[in-house]
Amino acid sequence: MFVCLCTGVTSHVVDEAVANGAATSKEVAAACGAGSDCGRCRRTVRAIIEAHFAKNGASSAAGR
Amino acid sequence: MGEYDLHSLILACDFRVEDIERMWQWLSKRRDNLASIGAHHVVVYTSIWEPGRVLVTIGIRHPRSVRDILRSPALFEWFDIAGLDDIPPIFGGEVVEKIDLYEPSPEDHVGRIVVGVMSSVDNVTDLMAKIHDGLDRFKRGGVRKIWVYRALDDGREVMILQEIDNEINARQWIDHPDAAAEWMSKAGFGAYPTQFVGRFAHLMAIDEK
Repeated sequence: MFVCLCTGVTSHVVDEAVANGAATSKEVAAACGAGSDCGRCRRTVRAIIEAHFAKNGASSAAGR
Repeated sequence: MGEYDLHSLILACDFRVEDIERMWQWLSKRRDNLASIGAHHVVVYTSIWEPGRVLVTIGIRHPRSVRDILRSPALFEWFDIAGLDDIPPIFGGEVVEKIDLYEPSPEDHVGRIVVGVMSSVDNVTDLMAKIHDGLDRFKRGGVRKIWVYRALDDGREVMILQEIDNEINARQWIDHPDAAAEWMSKAGFGAYPTQFVGRFAHLMAIDEK
């Protein structure tokens, strides 16, 4: 899924950023650029972060 | 249908819109904008059970144009008109197979009651084998057609559109999908929207510029 239209970043790339330690939308933006421009994809970014932590049994800081 | 098949290479997006008819009227006046981003068809399905929810598919001419389309002001303007603050994720993919469980339909056929799911699977080739093995069961469950698309950006990501004969069977499918339908398990997880059940609402053909 294309998540960030401004940068063309996909959910696969966001997943990787989260797997590598990004736990907030700001950290994801810093890691791969998703949400760093207009910011209108941050809700989806947060959903991906939440899904990652739900799958791995930990709570996230996605709201930050 | 001519040179371009309705659903061969598509973008698909699931979102909620404040006023579907207003959005469609706006789109209808902007065929030139749609042509400029390489679109040749736009299809809108409206949710049966969730007012305002739509599934939009945009047939496009060239895979190389996908990222250009995504960045185009026309797409952002569309989301603005739809009343969206948050931009939904967009599936970009190409058809793997279209399976008619009954008589073949014309190229410009659009499903009347459609279950749409975006998801990821372990292996698309294995998935297709499972689907073909289960076609008799699918047919008994009211499935009339199955369109399978593979994402351009992720070889394990799929979008499945199924035409189902009626609303009761669509609900049955959502509540108790066939064991072969592994794509159902990840719907609504992460970037993937929940299962969409809707009716065909609008179709627009767009001439090439």
